[in-house]
Amino acid sequence: MSSLLRLLPYARPYLRQFILVLGLVVVYNATSVLQPYLVKVAIDRDIVVTHPSFHGLLQISLLYIAVVVLGTAANYFQILTLQYAGQSIIRHIRLDLFHHITAQSMDFFDRNAIGRLVTNVSSDTETVSQFFTNFFLSLIRDGLAVVMIVFAMFQLDAAIAAKAMVLLPLLFGISLLFRKRLRQAYQATRTHLANVIAFLAENLAGVRITQIFHQEMRQARKFEQLNKLHRQANIHEYQTSVLFNRTFEMLGNMAVAAVVWIGGNAVLHHAIEFGTLYAFISYIRNFFQPINSMTQQWNTLQSSMVSADRIGRVLSVEPGVQDAPNPVHIAPTKLRGQVVFEHVSFGYQPNQPVLQDICLVAKPGSFIGLVGPTGAGKSSIMSLLTRFYDPDVGRILLDGVDLRMLAQADLHHLVGIVQQEVYLFSGTVADNIRLFRDDISDQQVRAAAAAVGAHRVIEKLPQQYQTWLYGKGGNLSMGERQLLSFARIVALDQKVLILDEATANLDSQTEALVTKGLQAVAKNRTTLVIAHRLATIRHADKIYFLQQGRIVEQGTHEQLLSLAGLYAELYAKSGIEHPDESTVFGEIGKTR
Amino acid sequence: MEETSEQPAHLLRQFAWTHRGSYSLSILSILVSEAITVQFPHLLGDFTDALQAGRLTGRLVVMYSLWLLLVGVAYVLLYGLGQWWNGRMGRVFEYELRWRLFNHWQTLSTAYFRHRSIGDLLNHAMNDVRTVREAMSGGLNMFANAVFLLAATLVMTFRTVSVRLTLVSIVPLLFLPLLVIYWGPRIRNASRRVQEGLSDMADLTEESLSAIRLIKATANEGVEGDRFGQRVQEIVSRQMSVFRLQASFQSLIPLTGSVSFAIALLYGGYLTVTHQILLGSFVAFTFYLVMIITPLQQMGFVFNSFQRGSASMARLTVLFGEYADITDPPQPVSVSHLSGSLEIDLPEFAYPDADVPALKDIHFTVAAGQTVGIVGRTGAGKTTLVNLLPRIFDPPARAVWMDGHDVRDLRLQVLREAIAYVPQDGFLFSTTIGENIGFGKELAHPEEVAEAARQAAFWQEIEDFPEGMGTVVGERGVSLSGGQRQRAAMARAFVKDAPILLLDDSLSAVDMNTEKNILANIRRLRQGKTTLIIAHRLSAVRHADFILVLDEGRLVERGTHEELLHHNGIYATLYHLQESEKEELA
Repeated sequence: MSSLLRLLPYARPYLRQFILVLGLVVVYNATSVLQPYLVKVAIDRDIVVTHPSFHGLLQISLLYIAVVVLGTAANYFQILTLQYAGQSIIRHIRLDLFHHITAQSMDFFDRNAIGRLVTNVSSDTETVSQFFTNFFLSLIRDGLAVVMIVFAMFQLDAAIAAKAMVLLPLLFGISLLFRKRLRQAYQATRTHLANVIAFLAENLAGVRITQIFHQEMRQARKFEQLNKLHRQANIHEYQTSVLFNRTFEMLGNMAVAAVVWIGGNAVLHHAIEFGTLYAFISYIRNFFQPINSMTQQWNTLQSSMVSADRIGRVLSVEPGVQDAPNPVHIAPTKLRGQVVFEHVSFGYQPNQPVLQDICLVAKPGSFIGLVGPTGAGKSSIMSLLTRFYDPDVGRILLDGVDLRMLAQADLHHLVGIVQQEVYLFSGTVADNIRLFRDDISDQQVRAAAAAVGAHRVIEKLPQQYQTWLYGKGGNLSMGERQLLSFARIVALDQKVLILDEATANLDSQTEALVTKGLQAVAKNRTTLVIAHRLATIRHADKIYFLQQGRIVEQGTHEQLLSLAGLYAELYAKSGIEHPDESTVFGEIGKTR
Repeated sequence: MEETSEQPAHLLRQFAWTHRGSYSLSILSILVSEAITVQFPHLLGDFTDALQAGRLTGRLVVMYSLWLLLVGVAYVLLYGLGQWWNGRMGRVFEYELRWRLFNHWQTLSTAYFRHRSIGDLLNHAMNDVRTVREAMSGGLNMFANAVFLLAATLVMTFRTVSVRLTLVSIVPLLFLPLLVIYWGPRIRNASRRVQEGLSDMADLTEESLSAIRLIKATANEGVEGDRFGQRVQEIVSRQMSVFRLQASFQSLIPLTGSVSFAIALLYGGYLTVTHQILLGSFVAFTFYLVMIITPLQQMGFVFNSFQRGSASMARLTVLFGEYADITDPPQPVSVSHLSGSLEIDLPEFAYPDADVPALKDIHFTVAAGQTVGIVGRTGAGKTTLVNLLPRIFDPPARAVWMDGHDVRDLRLQVLREAIAYVPQDGFLFSTTIGENIGFGKELAHPEEVAEAARQAAFWQEIEDFPEGMGTVVGERGVSLSGGQRQRAAMARAFVKDAPILLLDDSLSAVDMNTEKNILANIRRLRQGKTTLIIAHRLSAVRHADFILVLDEGRLVERGTHEELLHHNGIYATLYHLQESEKEELA
């Protein structure tokens, strides 16, 4: 409950709407309760009297219509107002949640699975919105309906009304009892259905295997089992719901019989008028619907609480990396591009150092190679330079300024990365190059693509720059995707670049293209390359060899070879270990 | 093939006929229940009249209450029984239909599945089948309820109240079914647009969060936030249009009922006051009116439900109408065992939907027991070629021969039993590793499975899994790497131990050393048996009896490794490229 309360501030701006809804609901309920009463008045005043009045009857009928129209209008506006408020609240929560998540530093994404976060943003918010709409509405509308019917009955005749109150706990009890069983039955059906779907999906994908291995009979038997379980659960669920609805109806019919018995005797002894009995019968029948719908909301409340809890947990996390109060500003045009690591140590978890005492200097415009076995800490150096994490000890300087003194947004305009995995968004090729920014013009996009040699490739696509890229760029080859990511970097024009070398097997034609693209990218930029193939960095200005989080060797290719140490050993071995890897990056150094 | 008997409409008729006894009983049960329930207002009316006439006594009050109780209980029991039974039968039919669909799909060929999304097919299997069921259970119940109740009510009001009063008051109610028919599909469409908006937003969120490093490294959080905001705003506006429709719908339905009621009050009151009808009739009539509001709405729902059901039925009919294009020949050659010699005499092969042939002028023979390597660039037609052997795609007649028989003249079972196949992607089912490996042999001995895993160099890793051979793979179990999947698929083919083994680049994700081991095992295991190996790494085909080089669908070179090197063609170029890479780095 507390988690739902924490989301309540989102509802505050819509307080007026909620009050309006409350008013409209009162009007709507009053008009509903009034209807049987008007009939009672008509019967007792105009019909069952010695001098029946047709004029009175007409009045009552017109009043009846007026009441109904008023109720209808109140109901209409009540629905729209409430849903508008609910949707606005959810919109707000969604935006905040998304901003909050994207503002987190990388350690957050290490701990939280993306699928989970997507669920938070899409379905948890949806569930919470039901609290603000369905639950709230039911609470006031159905609650009020019950209260008003009870009130009306007591007004008509307290003695009979008091006896009718026996129904209340009975109805709530039955309803709650069934709710639980209904929910369980529903969930069981869902689970079995999910199994059937999963099995079907898989077997449609693998039907070729089934056919070649001639196992159609076996798979059919397996499907039969799952299908049968689903049928059983499905029938059970239906039975439960039929049983519930009929029980409720049965109770309603019994209640009417009881009212006729009790009320009939009262009319007989002239304790009440006949019209009163008529109204009682109507009220008793109207009793059931609101109670049934209120108990349904019990489930809504429970699931909203769970969802609100999840949302609250995400919203309460503070980003691990934060901007300094008065950040230093470096204009991208002024940046020279010098990078210095001063005695940097770092670990993702305390007591598990990943980097220890790293000292590294990259002069403006230089080309630096980072080499070492998997897990040596190469990628961590990159993550520190982009300030995805902060170092535990030591500092990292960009043009002599501590990274922690720069605003993150500024830093990310200065330092860029090209990752092994190319991320593409659903959108056009141009959108993917400019990353949807409207400050990068079409000309700039084209120029960037031309600079890395992507232009020719893009021109061959069905709609050139306007070609729509589907599901993570599925309609592009690996090489084409890589080229787009290079074009992107040129378009964004960051002065310090980190390249996590791609290892994908590219065909020879794209390979040549990619190599050219890389040359264009590295021009005029300070470039740090994490090399998986030594050929890539053979011509680097300086190579750092990392092992177990420390820099163990450094120098040019020739210097390191003459050292005859780890680098030389790795170099000798690499030829045998990676026989079919080509030298995509091999030419960079030479042409610089 | 008995195509017509598989049609869903036919199945439905057959089902209804088989269960005609049950259906008659359940519908009779509903019919009787409606006849009973219309006594309810009538009893209340009689009660009123007795009271008005001063005939009512304490004993009569008890009598009336007991009658009302009896009517209430009998109605609920009879209607509930009929409703339950119809719903149950509908679900049984749903189950049968789905089962038929699954079996139908299993007979269709790969050519059929190539251009259909699994999502679409699932939609048919789940939603269309369910919609048909809804029409035949819920729809039938509502239909029976509405028709019988309306008829019974009209009979009662005509007989016991007043024909005129009934006809006049009922006019607004006649709009009810029309309202439902009008609004139902509109609300459903608008809701679907909301769902699409929601999944758009979820897709964008997933995309953004997957690329969070890129977004952060380019300071693009703001731009992404705006993109997200647009999606959210779109949902709000779509949602509101649903609510506008719903609000009108939910307001108009009770309004219609109330207008009817007002007319009844005025006109019925007038008739009562002028002594044309008794007060009891008036009271009864107001209850009759309340009673028929629901069935009239239901008429609309029934209409919508039947309409959706028949649309689904039509889609299912199309599905069931797809006949299996690769089937047993009418007069199969009577062979039960194949030794594994092959002859390919293929002038041309094009996919059913393509204009350009995928293969052209392919002619070669393989003696039983030979090992053949097939190499060539991506898209050269290697996979297409081997897919013709087990008739995954159907070759033209007299083009692919096995033991001197056209594969199209062999029974599918005989043909496919003779071939073991290892696909490129190493497709596995979400079941245990053991079951996957033993897939081709129903009662494979655990030791056989273990031995196959050993030969595929997979045994050691399986031992390290939490439950060994019993470990479930796929979404609900351990996820295997590409290399592990390929080796599991390899082991699966080993268990089958067929005269012909097809490897479709099935070791691409396995490291060099392991590949070498597996190839050695294959040479040993496949002694005297035919093996076709498609490979990118030439090391995999080096020891083949001969190697075929495909290029753009044509067979351009053939010979042993040495001959091809000597020939100095594509193969030699490829070989030198792969070798030179080794040397350059070494």
